[in-house]
Amino acid sequence: MSSKTDLSIEVGGLKLASPVIIASGVWPQDAEFWSPGRLEGVGALCTKAVGLKPRAGNKGPRVHETPCGVLNSVGLQNTGMASFVKNYLPVARCAGRPFLVNLIMESEREVRESLAALRDVPDVPAVELNISCPNVEDDNMEWGLRPEGTALAVRIARSEWGGPLWVKLTPQSPYLAAAAKAAEDEGADAVVCGNTWLGMAMDIERRRPVFQRIVAGLSGPAVFPLALRTVWQVSGAVSIPVIGCGGVSCWRDAAAMLMAGASAVEVGAALFTDLELPRKIADGLSAWMAEQNIDGVSGLVGLGRR
Amino acid sequence: MSGEAARDHEARVAGARVLGDGTALLAVECGAVADSATPGQFVMVRAGSCGDPFLGRPLAVAEASGGIFKLAFRVVGRGTELLAAKRQGDTLTVRGPLGRGFFDRAGDTPARVFLAGGGVGAVPLVFAARRLGFARIAGATAGISGAGWEGFADWLKEAMPKVDLHSDDGSVGKAGTALDGLPRSLPPGAEIWACGPVGMLRALAARFPNDGDRIRVSLESRMACGVGGCLGCAVPTASGNRRACTDGPVFAAGEVLWDELED
Repeated sequence: MSSKTDLSIEVGGLKLASPVIIASGVWPQDAEFWSPGRLEGVGALCTKAVGLKPRAGNKGPRVHETPCGVLNSVGLQNTGMASFVKNYLPVARCAGRPFLVNLIMESEREVRESLAALRDVPDVPAVELNISCPNVEDDNMEWGLRPEGTALAVRIARSEWGGPLWVKLTPQSPYLAAAAKAAEDEGADAVVCGNTWLGMAMDIERRRPVFQRIVAGLSGPAVFPLALRTVWQVSGAVSIPVIGCGGVSCWRDAAAMLMAGASAVEVGAALFTDLELPRKIADGLSAWMAEQNIDGVSGLVGLGRR
Repeated sequence: MSGEAARDHEARVAGARVLGDGTALLAVECGAVADSATPGQFVMVRAGSCGDPFLGRPLAVAEASGGIFKLAFRVVGRGTELLAAKRQGDTLTVRGPLGRGFFDRAGDTPARVFLAGGGVGAVPLVFAARRLGFARIAGATAGISGAGWEGFADWLKEAMPKVDLHSDDGSVGKAGTALDGLPRSLPPGAEIWACGPVGMLRALAARFPNDGDRIRVSLESRMACGVGGCLGCAVPTASGNRRACTDGPVFAAGEVLWDELED
């Protein structure tokens, strides 16, 4: 271990032992997966998305493999905030590291009620405001497409939530840098770049789209270069921390995201193929930084921009 | 069951055999899976460590003993093609054992069990038959499409000698489907354990509408993680969406909302 570098970093109001964060929507809620023994190398975890009321999620096929990636149309299935607070938070508190509640941006009233519920319970370290899911009919992603919508969403959430507030942006926004800046101006502590990429698949045998909603969100190694570009763009536009998210599947990807300006990375789809990826990324980063005489993660952040 | 055991393993192929047109058999050295897998459980298998094909393939365990487990599967695309091309000594990535199997349901194992498999759905029933023992098997029936499946049929007969084989085209065993080998009514104390395509299991549930809690079905599903994280394999049930990978793949036929389940 002597050849390894300390990977701790302070990001958006959270102290992380490692810059590797488990993205929302991929990690089981079952208690066994939130025990510290399962989470080597993990700096923090994002919960599955939760809204005020239960959602059944989408019908029909929900996942479809693509070259170096996967499309999903899960549709924010969750059991609602009351059940989340009762059943999921006690599990999350056992992780021994910070977690972020991935909160679905719904109507103003619903988000205010959800945040009030989270405020009323102890030990919720942070909120990741989800304004970017491409898989639902009620226009969650609409909030994130334009800077005005992003600003309004963050303003509402900020007025109810005094703790660390991260905002998960959508790569579908043609004004991504401006949306990130709007989040910063309204008091966000960090922005996450970003959610899945809008795609689709055709079932040529059945002569119809694979997914009932036709479109779906693409993730996995296939989107990494796209996500890296958004991290570069957004990092140049804001002064709050940027979290890179999209296709990270090895320590080199993580290093590239950090060099482009990210302060930490979220890993998602790559966990489908390797449950121990966070440890491998942390070990790889640490050994490489020692070799390169880079003292800490902050020395790597934005290194590629200088 | 699922959580504790759900780990990723590098494993070595101990033996590989092409069973005939489009089906293959792999024996895999992996004590962590072989020593704890129970009938009805599955593994997510990847042929290599590169990103394409990206996801593991969920395959039912056919046998497990002495540190080796076996898989018998149909080659349906590039992922299973790469698996079928593996030879002794090659490596694989294996996640498992996963899911709740036939024996993981509350209550005692029934005194008598009828086994019914459709296509490669017969694979986990081979494992179940071994654990049940001769005396508790009331009958075993399987259905395949026919021509091209001879190798699979031979393997099945070897693994489950008493199996009553049916084929759609009549070329192997009797003409008909697996369901033709089941009794008209289910005797008291007996259960049916079945695995196969959704269409077959839906027909099975419809044929025994009052015995839903005495029929255990193992569902095939598209999956991404296999450990209950992604919710990609939702099964509509009377108590809401359940996960095929961790709440199943074995469910009581009576709890599944068959009309809402995708074929």
